[in-house]
Amino acid sequence: MSSATTGVGTGTGIPAAAGRPETWSDATGTPVAGDVTRHARSKRTRLARGLGLRSRVTLTFAVGAFGLSTLMAGITYFTARQTFLSERQSAEQRQAFANAALVQNALRSPVTQVNQLIESVDTLPGSRSVLLTGGQWYATSISVGQSAIPSGERQLVLSGTPASQLFNLAGSPQEVIGIPLPAVHSFYFEVFTLDELAGTLRALAFALAAAALVTTVAGAAVGRWAASRALRPLAGLTDAAVAIAGGQLDTRVEAGDDADLEELASAFNRMTSNLQDRIEREARFTSDVSHELRSPLTTLAATVSVLESHRNQLAPRAQSALDLLDGDLKRFTRMVDDLLEISRFDAGSAELSLDEVDPGELVRRAVAATAPADADGARGPVTFPVEVGLGVDGLRLRVDKRRFERVMANLVENAAQYAGGVTRVLVERQPPYSATIPTPATAIRVVVEDQGPGIPAAERDHLFERFYRGARAGQRAAGEGTGLGLSLVTEHVRLHGGRVWSEDAPGRGTRFVVEFPLFPVGDDGTEGPLDSGVPA
Amino acid sequence: MSRILIVEDDERIRSSMRLALEEEGYTVDGVGSGEEAVSRFGTEPYELVLIDLMLPGIDGFEACRALRRTSTVPVIMVTARSDTHDVVAGLEAGADDYVTKPFVAKELAARIRALLRRSRHEDEDSAFLSFGDVEIEPEAGVVRRAGVEVHCTRTEFRLLCELANHPGKVLSREQLLERVWGYDYFGDGRLVDVHVRRLRTKVEPDPASPRFILTVRGMGYKLAV
Repeated sequence: MSSATTGVGTGTGIPAAAGRPETWSDATGTPVAGDVTRHARSKRTRLARGLGLRSRVTLTFAVGAFGLSTLMAGITYFTARQTFLSERQSAEQRQAFANAALVQNALRSPVTQVNQLIESVDTLPGSRSVLLTGGQWYATSISVGQSAIPSGERQLVLSGTPASQLFNLAGSPQEVIGIPLPAVHSFYFEVFTLDELAGTLRALAFALAAAALVTTVAGAAVGRWAASRALRPLAGLTDAAVAIAGGQLDTRVEAGDDADLEELASAFNRMTSNLQDRIEREARFTSDVSHELRSPLTTLAATVSVLESHRNQLAPRAQSALDLLDGDLKRFTRMVDDLLEISRFDAGSAELSLDEVDPGELVRRAVAATAPADADGARGPVTFPVEVGLGVDGLRLRVDKRRFERVMANLVENAAQYAGGVTRVLVERQPPYSATIPTPATAIRVVVEDQGPGIPAAERDHLFERFYRGARAGQRAAGEGTGLGLSLVTEHVRLHGGRVWSEDAPGRGTRFVVEFPLFPVGDDGTEGPLDSGVPA
Repeated sequence: MSRILIVEDDERIRSSMRLALEEEGYTVDGVGSGEEAVSRFGTEPYELVLIDLMLPGIDGFEACRALRRTSTVPVIMVTARSDTHDVVAGLEAGADDYVTKPFVAKELAARIRALLRRSRHEDEDSAFLSFGDVEIEPEAGVVRRAGVEVHCTRTEFRLLCELANHPGKVLSREQLLERVWGYDYFGDGRLVDVHVRRLRTKVEPDPASPRFILTVRGMGYKLAV
């Protein structure tokens, strides 16, 4: 219970601002604006990293709207409260002084019944009078008597000073005005209930709080909208960047008629075309170099073949030299072929030429083509089995046969170089065949197994990198490897929308798994397989 | 002794190819441009022509078309890349086959042998074949449509005979590649596709919607009965 008591100066006798009953301060229930912003700022820094720009703008707008609307509501509330209260207080003062004058006149007459007197003075509803006269307390209400008047107020008035005080009585706000009546040695107190005013202020506070809430939500909505609108050009930029990252280097963004965006858009476009130029220049360089190498290689291949056909006329040392020349010429040719192939992938100009084939036959044929050929070009048998799994027969795979043949050749060669050769090739369907639960096949897996020393897990990710030899460098057997074999495998398989990886073979060695989707990405299936690669 | 004409602007390649092919038993002449090739071909008989696609002046495609206007001689084109539309364009210009640089001389010799073998003794099935208004005399190497002779290259003729010998039966691209060109499973199916298309323009009433030489999706080609 508040009991701040203010002395009343002579003249008006009633203070403009009185002690504030506790319940009123509780009723406002709102922390001050400064606290709100500080709170929001700390929240913002904590969340900044986790929130997107859109959310941050929304949050800023919401916090701003909340702060502003709370401030406005607070000012409105306290101004209204002050106005209502002072109006009410002056009315109460007028009544109290009038009543006090009435009581004083009445008390001058000795026959006056004090009880009847104070009963007769109440005019405002809810106001009660308390009178101290002749050392006796009189009151109009049982609930409001001498004890209800705050002691500070009582003492101040009894010492001869008129005073007023706001206080709480049984949870309801009251104002007491005390006026000493020295002429009749009495003291008149009038207690006014402020319930009605408190109710009005509560309704006002509620309305203002609701308005602040609505404003906050509206602020957040506006913030969201503004952020989305401001970020809309960024969505275009994002799409463009994604397209560029996906290899569509000719993607450009349009600024529209926005001067602010124009700068960004033109900078972005400049960057992209520089990037495109550079990538194309590099790809062209590789391609040009490889092309230029083809002419001398053609000459070399033709002349070496002439020497080969006269091999028997050569001295043994010349024969050895010719063999070395022939071997490395083949390797060089392969390298140029591989580089050209890679440059086509890099330039994004690699195209699939699809055929629809039986997977088992495809693998058997591709494996058979890896067997070493004799001088007349006839190939020997392969030294490892090709096992076609259950459920593969009858499936048709749409595949670029040439690329598939290169994939198998590179995997077989890789195994020959590093792992003592392939031990087994498996052809499986994905998901695995099940006699009980039939599921449609989505992909074909070709597994190439060896029984070599295996590949450490740490190296597996690098295996498919260009020219990667890693710890296996020392194990390299003499061969025609170019260092591009496995990276080309990846590129060929990816072009089909498939994937390739290596894992430990059961027991010992490594298995390379190549997965081809039955229907490659970007293949709408409408074009007849027999017309693929041929423009109409 | 078969005579071969090499059209190649790189003198070194021309010389080395001549050396290698002479080693295989052919008589070889070399020229450096398309114009020379056309004029030389007009004066001397060649059994096979090798044309590089990249030539100064008229390019390999144009030279091939010029040869085709007067001759059905087997033509092998030499390309830098196998996966471009150059191959298809070259085949459409009338080439029978192609090799990619750098090629192994033995492989080129094998291609040449296959084409010349076909040119020499035509079809072993010497019966008279016909479908629709088309008549084929395998032994004479003559195709007539509505009684009028149709000029086919030897490869087109061989392909037509292969289809006509198995009416109603689907022949896969691999089978046709092997029987007509002597390629294995990994031969380039575009050879078949382009030759079928060329053939259709010669024997079909409406090549855009063929009635005789049909595409069987995912399987191959067949001659409708």
